[in-house]
Amino acid sequence: MTQMRLHLTFPEERVREPIIYEICRKFPVVVNIRRADISLDSGWVELEMDGELADIERTVLYLRERGVHVDPLEKSILEG
Amino acid sequence: MNSQSAPHQESEQTRGEGANASSPKESKIKGLKCRECGRLYPAVAIHICEFCFGPLEVDYDYAAIGRRISRRSIEEGPKSLWRYHELLPVTGAPTVGLHAGMTPLIHAKRLGKLLGLDNLYLKNDTVNHPTLSFKDRVVAVAMTRARELGFDTVACASTGNLANSVSAHAASVGMKCFVFIPHDLEAGKILGNLIYNPTVVAVRGNYDDVNRLCSEIGGEYPWAFVNINIRPYYAEGSKSLAFETAEQLGWRIPDQVVVPIASGSLLTKIRKGFQEFEKLGLVSSNDRLKVNGAQAEGCSPVYRAFVSGKNHLIPVKPNTIAKSLAIGNPADGFYSLDVVFKSGGAIAAASDPEIVEGMKLLAETEGIFAETAGGVTIASLRKLCAEGRIGRKDLTVAYITGNGLKTMEALSGALPEPVGIDPTLASFRKTVNPTN
Repeated sequence: MTQMRLHLTFPEERVREPIIYEICRKFPVVVNIRRADISLDSGWVELEMDGELADIERTVLYLRERGVHVDPLEKSILEG
Repeated sequence: MNSQSAPHQESEQTRGEGANASSPKESKIKGLKCRECGRLYPAVAIHICEFCFGPLEVDYDYAAIGRRISRRSIEEGPKSLWRYHELLPVTGAPTVGLHAGMTPLIHAKRLGKLLGLDNLYLKNDTVNHPTLSFKDRVVAVAMTRARELGFDTVACASTGNLANSVSAHAASVGMKCFVFIPHDLEAGKILGNLIYNPTVVAVRGNYDDVNRLCSEIGGEYPWAFVNINIRPYYAEGSKSLAFETAEQLGWRIPDQVVVPIASGSLLTKIRKGFQEFEKLGLVSSNDRLKVNGAQAEGCSPVYRAFVSGKNHLIPVKPNTIAKSLAIGNPADGFYSLDVVFKSGGAIAAASDPEIVEGMKLLAETEGIFAETAGGVTIASLRKLCAEGRIGRKDLTVAYITGNGLKTMEALSGALPEPVGIDPTLASFRKTVNPTN
């Protein structure tokens, strides 16, 4: 089992969709939301995701395909 | 991807204390504190609150520091950022980056005249030691702290200045060093790191892949990853820019500062540095201080949030010549936006041609060759002046954070060709005609 800590950013066109619910139904991962800030036109969620590494990777790929920006909790680590 | 582990952590009270260190009985560091929920942690190699996932910051005992620090004690200190060691998150004497900081603060009369500013100053970190960017400040502090915590290996993910600085400082003290870069980084930028003989790891993947891998490695290996598990200490090094500015201005806080925004940490720490000097009575308060930000248009998530009046940042894919500012989802973006809003400042953004013009303007008026980030700062300063956000009489400081020799490619085709002549006086007179 692996745990990842992720920062998800939801654009305006996705912010009202139940995407977190979708990933819990589609993939065998356990999601634990730890911090979030959602408004009408944007939002972010910070969560822990537990599961097999391959399942987490498929979940992250799905999130990106759905238009959600996925970063590690630290956001951009690669600096100039 | 749990990046909380650090195997060689020792308590504050068991670390060696050098000649310039604070008394162990009156430690200046109380611990780490969550910026969101205020929960307290020991001062070890962690960066995120386990309770709410908020970022951790160093929590100082300002009463203890206030009993030891004075203008005189600072002025008698070394001519480096370590003259402010009381306000930096190390417990013993500095061991890495002993010559970083104390860069010139230049009264930019020619540039100021052109922009309509009587009191424009430039904080010139293009000549910082040893790698010619402000990163030498944060790395000096991060690596000194990392050694105090018992680490023998340091790491970072960087495409430029940070990698240079970490590699050079690691070489100077014999620490093992790992630098992670995207596999398609230009050869010239890799050479600038390889000269210091770190292990450079080129990750076959995109920007997001490098980020994710580094986050995972930060949790798996017993390394000091300067901008992950050492980040609370690393970021504090930026305060030295504010300390030096205030001291070099004759113990004054400016009315306006213009700071480039990448992760956003630099801007927030400059504000914090001024606040600490005010809190300790080293300077008079200046409620007029406006903190202004500068971003490249091709990577401007904080600028976009500012102009839309929102506090949510939308991540972007960087597309700008200002590579050192190309952070698509800045860790401290929200906090830098908050500082700008609360101070009554503003954020401007510069296009790639404006960045080049900014670099040229700075060089032609003040003789300073800055990298593209400096072009962003000058171009943004120009816009803020044109918009009337900075007044003629305002005591204004702009931060120039890296040397132009690092981003020569940005000037390709932007400068005039040399004047070619035959090796005769006649050819010189005819072609150059210097009396005209």
